[in-house]
Amino acid sequence: MQSWRRKSLWLALLASWLLGLLGIFPLLRLAVPTGPRAGAPRGWPRWLDAELLQSSFQPGEPPEDAPPPPPAPRGGSCDWGACFDTSKCRSGGFKVFVYPAAGPPSETQHKILASLEGSRYHTVSPTEACLHLLSLDAPAGACGPLPPEWNRGKNHLVLRLHPASCSGTFPRGQAMVAEASPAGDAFRPGFDVALPPLPEAHPVRGGAPGRLRQHSPHPGEALLALAEEGGGWRMAGADSSACPRSGHCERDGGPEPTHPGAALPNATFCLIPGRRPDALRFLQALQAGCIPVLLSPRWELPFAEVIDWTKAAIVADERLPLQAVAALQEMPPTRVLALRQQTQFLWDTYFSSVDKVIRTTLEIIQDRILGVSARPLLMWNSPPGALLALPTFSTSPSHFPFYHLQRGSRPAGRFSALIRVGATGQPPLKLIRAVAGSHHCAQILVLWSNDKPPPSSWPETAVPLTVMEGHRKASDRFLPFRAISTDAILSLDAHSSLSTSEVDFAFGVWQSFPERMVGFQTWSHFWDEAQGGWGYTAERVNDFSMVLTSAAFYHRYYHTLFTHSLPAALRSRAEAAPGCADVLMNFLVAAATKLPPIKVPCGRRPAEAGPPQAPGGLGPAPQPAARDCIDQLAAGFGHMPLVSSRLRLDPVLFKDPVSVLRKKYRSLEKP
Amino acid sequence: MCASVKYSIRGPALIPRMKIKHRIYYITLFSVVLLGLIATGVFQFWPHSIESSNDWSVEKRSVRDVPVVRLPADSPIPERGDLSCRMHTCFDVYRCGFNPKNKIKVFIYSLKKYVDDSGVPVSNTISREYNELLTAISDSDYYTDDINRACLFVPSIDVLNQNTLRIKETAQALAQLSRWDRGTNHLLFNMLPGGPPDYNTALDVPRDSPRRYFLLSSQMALHPEYREELGALQAKHGESVLVLDKCTNLSEDVLSFRKRCHKHQVFDYPQVLQEATFCVVLRGARLGQAVLSDVLRAGCIPVVIADSYILPFSEVLDWKRASVVVPEEKMADVYNILQSIPQKQIEEMQRQARWFWEAYFQSIKAIALATLQIINDRIYPYAAISYEEWNDPPTVKWGSVSNPLFLPLIPPQSQGFTAIVLTYDRVESLFRVITEVSKVPSLSKLLVVWNNQNKSPPEESLWPKIRVPLKVVRTAENKLSNRFFPYDEIETEAVLAIDDDIIMLTSDELQFGYEVWREFPDRLVGYPGRLHLWDHEMSKWKYESEWTNEVSMVLTGAAFYHKYFNYLYTYKMPGDIKNWVDAHMNCEDIAMNFLVANVTGKAVIKVTPRKKFKCPECTAIDGLSLDQTHMVERSECINKFASVFGTMPLKVVEHRADPVLYKDDFPEKLKSFPNIGSL
Repeated sequence: MQSWRRKSLWLALLASWLLGLLGIFPLLRLAVPTGPRAGAPRGWPRWLDAELLQSSFQPGEPPEDAPPPPPAPRGGSCDWGACFDTSKCRSGGFKVFVYPAAGPPSETQHKILASLEGSRYHTVSPTEACLHLLSLDAPAGACGPLPPEWNRGKNHLVLRLHPASCSGTFPRGQAMVAEASPAGDAFRPGFDVALPPLPEAHPVRGGAPGRLRQHSPHPGEALLALAEEGGGWRMAGADSSACPRSGHCERDGGPEPTHPGAALPNATFCLIPGRRPDALRFLQALQAGCIPVLLSPRWELPFAEVIDWTKAAIVADERLPLQAVAALQEMPPTRVLALRQQTQFLWDTYFSSVDKVIRTTLEIIQDRILGVSARPLLMWNSPPGALLALPTFSTSPSHFPFYHLQRGSRPAGRFSALIRVGATGQPPLKLIRAVAGSHHCAQILVLWSNDKPPPSSWPETAVPLTVMEGHRKASDRFLPFRAISTDAILSLDAHSSLSTSEVDFAFGVWQSFPERMVGFQTWSHFWDEAQGGWGYTAERVNDFSMVLTSAAFYHRYYHTLFTHSLPAALRSRAEAAPGCADVLMNFLVAAATKLPPIKVPCGRRPAEAGPPQAPGGLGPAPQPAARDCIDQLAAGFGHMPLVSSRLRLDPVLFKDPVSVLRKKYRSLEKP
Repeated sequence: MCASVKYSIRGPALIPRMKIKHRIYYITLFSVVLLGLIATGVFQFWPHSIESSNDWSVEKRSVRDVPVVRLPADSPIPERGDLSCRMHTCFDVYRCGFNPKNKIKVFIYSLKKYVDDSGVPVSNTISREYNELLTAISDSDYYTDDINRACLFVPSIDVLNQNTLRIKETAQALAQLSRWDRGTNHLLFNMLPGGPPDYNTALDVPRDSPRRYFLLSSQMALHPEYREELGALQAKHGESVLVLDKCTNLSEDVLSFRKRCHKHQVFDYPQVLQEATFCVVLRGARLGQAVLSDVLRAGCIPVVIADSYILPFSEVLDWKRASVVVPEEKMADVYNILQSIPQKQIEEMQRQARWFWEAYFQSIKAIALATLQIINDRIYPYAAISYEEWNDPPTVKWGSVSNPLFLPLIPPQSQGFTAIVLTYDRVESLFRVITEVSKVPSLSKLLVVWNNQNKSPPEESLWPKIRVPLKVVRTAENKLSNRFFPYDEIETEAVLAIDDDIIMLTSDELQFGYEVWREFPDRLVGYPGRLHLWDHEMSKWKYESEWTNEVSMVLTGAAFYHKYFNYLYTYKMPGDIKNWVDAHMNCEDIAMNFLVANVTGKAVIKVTPRKKFKCPECTAIDGLSLDQTHMVERSECINKFASVFGTMPLKVVEHRADPVLYKDDFPEKLKSFPNIGSL
């Protein structure tokens, strides 16, 4: 009895002790809640009388009632609205006149002229021009006299590719200045154009492709390359101790030895000081696919009006290089991957040749003239870039074949069949029936390119059929016909022979690859060692790089691109040889996508599919005309854009030993 | 609380043996103890919840109690602002320093009341808006109360409205701030030159009905020259242009700033802005116009006719997408310019204008945070927010895909691929796979992931001798996700994931698969194809392994992919999928298919017709097992992943990749990959 009572007492004592222990701390905390506690975060106070605070603004008396301002100040600094007269450009189109060089033209001036003369902007008449281009890259480095049409520089673009030329005394007036890495204070944003500093030996066309061969950095690659005074690059590993605060890196103590010979850095990041002469290193880094880390640059980044440099470079503060390096080491792989790829895209699209730099400059000015119908920045900053995305086609990215993923859109589920009737002059009744049988077919357009008048009666089809008169030229079929109402075009020749299920399957494939050409018959190009030139063949080989447009799906936009962006010389070249227009179209699409076209299977071999339209190079030995064609086109493009593919896309159960009843596209397998 | 439970259990057991008075005594005692413990428990948790609210830690004071500071008339006036200042010349970045979170620290000076020599206050102590702004900063992640750690300083001297400011005295007040130092790293807000922002809530519902006016001008104090031009526009284009002015004939008690008039017609402002497609923003007393904010709010597209006006936040916001900027000289042309804009673009601009308003201008807080974010982006450029994040409205962000491997390039063949074989204990079959795979010309390394912790891998001498390096990685735990770990040993971009029982693939098939991957480096390129289907009866997704005409997945029992996806799988897999897969020991391949399709927005590529992978005599289709439970489990995985991703990212296609001359009537010996085609 006593013992259990004592036990219970002990128990009770223990419990109250526990209670005290648990209770005292929170109670202590509760005791001091009102006063500000040391160390606790104290934000901006919540005023007791916050409700009574007055507003900054007196209601009922809007400050707009202040005295009205004088009209905008004019003169002094120019901006686009004040110093450029767009009226001429609207009426006559964007035409550019280039002043002939005062003395003997320098090499750079040659390049500029060469680049412009082929372009669609060039005009020889100064009165017709909306923009007058004056190149200051005179051989002696002296400024020439002002041209006769100067007019205080209105609608003039003064081009200075190399910083050395015509040192600084030029009266720019109302002229826009396109200058290599201009200093920040002299630059008029939205009016002047910042150019990249180009090395003397920069090629006119083509240009060296970017050096990036893979998406992600190679595991053995150095983290950092440092631009050295002498013009070389020095690699540094993850260890950043070689770089003191100034951003200048000492020669000694580097973890890896110097590579004086290496013109291009082989690293993930390239640290570039901000002084103007170092701007040249920036371009090297871009070409090498090395992410430029600019330390407080004192110059404007090239084309920054349209290029979003935050996607390709990092502008850090030169006073904290160590902090920048530490941040680079911490950077998530996703960002590194994106930056690396963007450097290459920008290099290849805007910087790799003089031609591209000049065209980019002109396109920027054209976008300013277009105002609201200018390209969205998305088109400038994602492949294939603004030079290949014409604002005249549409201002909405979803209308182009390139931006469906970014916009979350899809190409529409219908196509237009465009059948060109050439020499045969016979309406392709069987083909029309086969094509019209597809559920995806929205319309059939017949391009009558024959001396005979088209027949008056056409077969009854479920979809509308329109007959258009052509001009009997090979590249007729690539005109941007207004009648085409769908994104997809199925381009056909009268002699092509396709079945409905071939059409359906190929269209399904095209919807997965709306930016490429999807065709049935293919050619492949090759380098002919013996002739020292390019050639192409229709022979059946294990790879291909072109599809014939006598039966191919592609995006409507390529018609616009073909007609409006290609230099006239190339287009007339394509007329000269049979089949050359096909090659040119393939060149164009490959240049835009940098990818091969896509081949799908066709039931019948071309030999049985009627007489081929004498395309050059059918047969083992390519004809000379065909070789001329591909060689000249390659010269015109400045490089060989075609890319080879080794695969064909077949239906999933194609020629599998299962019941044909299971197969959706069984007619593709007929021999 | 645990203790109390224990006592209450023991209590009743003791009670029957006690006398009544003792029983009462002890019951009382125990209840007191019990109550005490419960109360303690409550107190333990209660105060925490109080502390976490802001009210607890901030001061509660009156604005009238703030300390008064007298500014002598001869106190120093700060130098004029240096117009040539740039971030890298005038801003002291050393204060910001390295910071793992890449966030600047902002300090707010405590509120003082400044009076001049004669005791007259320099300004209104603080306005409601500025108080709101400082509260927003103080509540944000940027705030610090430690002046020594701060990199940006915000004075509590209210300079929001320049009209009510005594310039010289305010400058003197600024100059005596403890860290002023010619204004280095100080941020002043002077942003709202007009417009009481609190008129009403009538505008909160955006209207989608067609707008009556094409172009509207609602500003009151316009220069006569502009008004003349606007009048000419109205005369030329009639009804579709509306030019409003101040009302002259209103009675006194009407709030005049809420009314606008055209001749004798009275319109409610700002509601009238909702009736117009485009609204003119002209140069007024100052360049910046409050009307811009009203216009955005009404979903009207601003037409900015004010040369050299720098639009708010134009450093990061792409105003071309939400507004039309017309040079003042072209004012007469403005109607034609606007007419040339296609309807679709107009709709997009309206959406964009509305989104800018909602995201960056609708409250003082939004403005304050956007300002600090911009400064933060300048100081920590490597962590800056991208153009898309600033500018894309949420609907676009949700639907769009930014492919991490967007650059179109075909990696060189010379790079080769790394084969990763996941194995547990099937050594014999593993060795056969290794021997087969090693025959592939482009193989550059073979990695065996040994997932069995209870057994050591065979001795080195027992492994097949192959021409490329072979490396065995032992894992710490038997998890399926080990196969997708981004091992340092992977030096090539291409990875071939292969199970230790896939012995049927020929060297030609593997080499061809690698060639296909090179043409599609951003996709999963694999051999066994599968499909997901929507089961209408059950209203959920179903897994399908029959011979269908479509594919949407390839199994990673034999598939090529970019090694970046290993990084994504291991570190960026959404939700709990990774752990879920490890716990269920199934569906890692489906998870990989979801992940890749979700980030790239693209379909898989199935290569070659092969259906049998494990043995010639196996049934045509083979997976882990063919029984019904397996199919049910796999279907469950698809449904689980689709709900975690919030969408079904898999894309269905009807094609597979074969060599160009596959099954063509062509001599086999001339084909590049002849040994393809047997099932």
